[in-house]
Amino acid sequence: MTNVLRSENLTKRYGRRTALSGCTLDVPVGQVVGLVGPNGAGKSTLLQLACGLLEPTAGMIEVLGERPVSGSARVGFVAQDAPVYAGLTVAEHLRLGARLNPSWDSAIAERRIAQAGLDPSQKAGKLSGGQRANLALTVAAAKRPELLLLDEPVAALDPLARRLFLQALMELVAEQEMTVIMSSHLVSDLQRICDHLIVLVGSQVRLAGDVDDLLASHHRLIGPRRESVDVASYGWTLIEDRHTAAQSTLVVRSTAPIDDPSWQADQLDLEDILLAYLSGSAPAAAPERVLEAQR
Amino acid sequence: MTWLAWRQFRTQAIVGAACLAVLFGALLFTWWQVRGLAVSTGYTGCTGNDCQKAADSFLDEIEQSLAGRVQLAGVGASFGLPALVGVFWGAPTVARELETGTYRIAWSQTVSRRRWLLVKLSVGGLAAALVAGALSLALTSWAQPIDDAHATLAHANLITPLVFPTRGVVPIGYATLAFAIGVTAGLMLRQTLAAMAVTLALVVATQIGAVELRPLIADPVHRVTALTAERANMVARMNDVVTRVEGWPSETDSWELSNAIVTTPGGPEYRGPTDQEKCTPDCREWLGAQGLLQEERYVPARRFWLVQLRELGVLLTLTAALSLISLWWIRRRPA
Repeated sequence: MTNVLRSENLTKRYGRRTALSGCTLDVPVGQVVGLVGPNGAGKSTLLQLACGLLEPTAGMIEVLGERPVSGSARVGFVAQDAPVYAGLTVAEHLRLGARLNPSWDSAIAERRIAQAGLDPSQKAGKLSGGQRANLALTVAAAKRPELLLLDEPVAALDPLARRLFLQALMELVAEQEMTVIMSSHLVSDLQRICDHLIVLVGSQVRLAGDVDDLLASHHRLIGPRRESVDVASYGWTLIEDRHTAAQSTLVVRSTAPIDDPSWQADQLDLEDILLAYLSGSAPAAAPERVLEAQR
Repeated sequence: MTWLAWRQFRTQAIVGAACLAVLFGALLFTWWQVRGLAVSTGYTGCTGNDCQKAADSFLDEIEQSLAGRVQLAGVGASFGLPALVGVFWGAPTVARELETGTYRIAWSQTVSRRRWLLVKLSVGGLAAALVAGALSLALTSWAQPIDDAHATLAHANLITPLVFPTRGVVPIGYATLAFAIGVTAGLMLRQTLAAMAVTLALVVATQIGAVELRPLIADPVHRVTALTAERANMVARMNDVVTRVEGWPSETDSWELSNAIVTTPGGPEYRGPTDQEKCTPDCREWLGAQGLLQEERYVPARRFWLVQLRELGVLLTLTAALSLISLWWIRRRPA
């Protein structure tokens, strides 16, 4: 099995509102997958479809080769805002995990709680956002799932807690053979740790691929102003173009290196690529809504 | 899963147990008062015809004592219990999880949604049954001398709508049904407060509806007898015109559903006209000679356990049906 998640034309509607439409994906196994997109793009819907909390309206989704059902031992899920039982203590959450999961690894759970500096006797309702996210991650990870789904796990965290959380996540991924799919509306959260990226905009998949490929195949080209560029003749795909009085700036996708001397070719980082996709081909989505300022 | 369900239910269970303990304390406190009054009024150990008089004064004494108020409180608690169980135990069980989003952590463990709900239903339903059963048992044993006195006087007591649902086994049925109503309402409405309100309305409607529907399972006695002068009980007049004639019930300790004087069985109630001359001052002799019929429908006291078991059966069936509906719902209609 090489795909951890496969979907074809996956569509989810709530009444008249379409949360996800025609989503076709192949997510390879054994990677950290980032799911990026603006708020309301369908990230949560996709993740909840993947863990069986939601049923698709149309299309097909397969997770680990099966139709997803909630209550599976193979999939772990930390929902948005990391829900925990406010009235239960940290230790009781671990007990909950141990009671409800035959595959529970209490050594991992206890070590992670200690590392995160959580007091086992503290009520979960009194934890800070970062502590709560850590507790929820611990419960999901100690179940030892093959696929761990994290829905905006760091959205509510301050930058330090964010870094600590991602570090903890990376340690888990390193020691357990586990695929992680995590969503965020901030690409900066994901670019350090992701191997694979899926971009959802306006309920549709805009871009999906390995991060290395994405970085290698996208270029920013700067040259003298020209009215139109026949990108196809070069074998490029135009993602975004901007023109000033003097020069033209293009973002193109090309698997072959750029060797036209009339263009100055620059490398792009992930955030640039993403912005190009969001602003270039999504007239409906206002770019400033797409990538929010880091809190 | 049982551990989690119990752990989440614990606080509510403790509060419920505390309320029950207060009531049990009051029953225990007045336990000897009831028995003491039975002795002091001469009801305990009475023989023959003295018993009726003694029973009468015993019941009078009870009514004026603290025990009388405790009895009222006990009956009130029995009637309120289903609503409390439904509103405070049942409704939040699922609604709060859906409302606060914690269902997402529960359903992400290795436990199916149906099992999760089934265990929650079982734990709460069992607790509801236990509390209701304990209350009914305590009330019944506490009121033993009082019930005896009512029986001695052939009073309508245990079978009447105001006592029947508080005794025997039906309280268990009402409590479990109320819990199931609460859980189902919470599951479908997904809001604790709304679920509580709907549960309260449905539970009270069930209790009221039960009084209307109980005759259907009680198969009441239908009896038509000739109205004799002895059986004619009361004649209501207005401006010297007879407006209503009543007859004595055949079995005074029964739950009377209808009791009317008619000219033909099933016909309209007899309202005169009467012979004014013969009806002054007393109409009974004259009425007895008119060939009138007394038509009664009633549930006799001896049917108490039969009706109890049938009603319990109906209530438990409804509980099971609601549970099945919610188990089906949770699988079909996820978050």
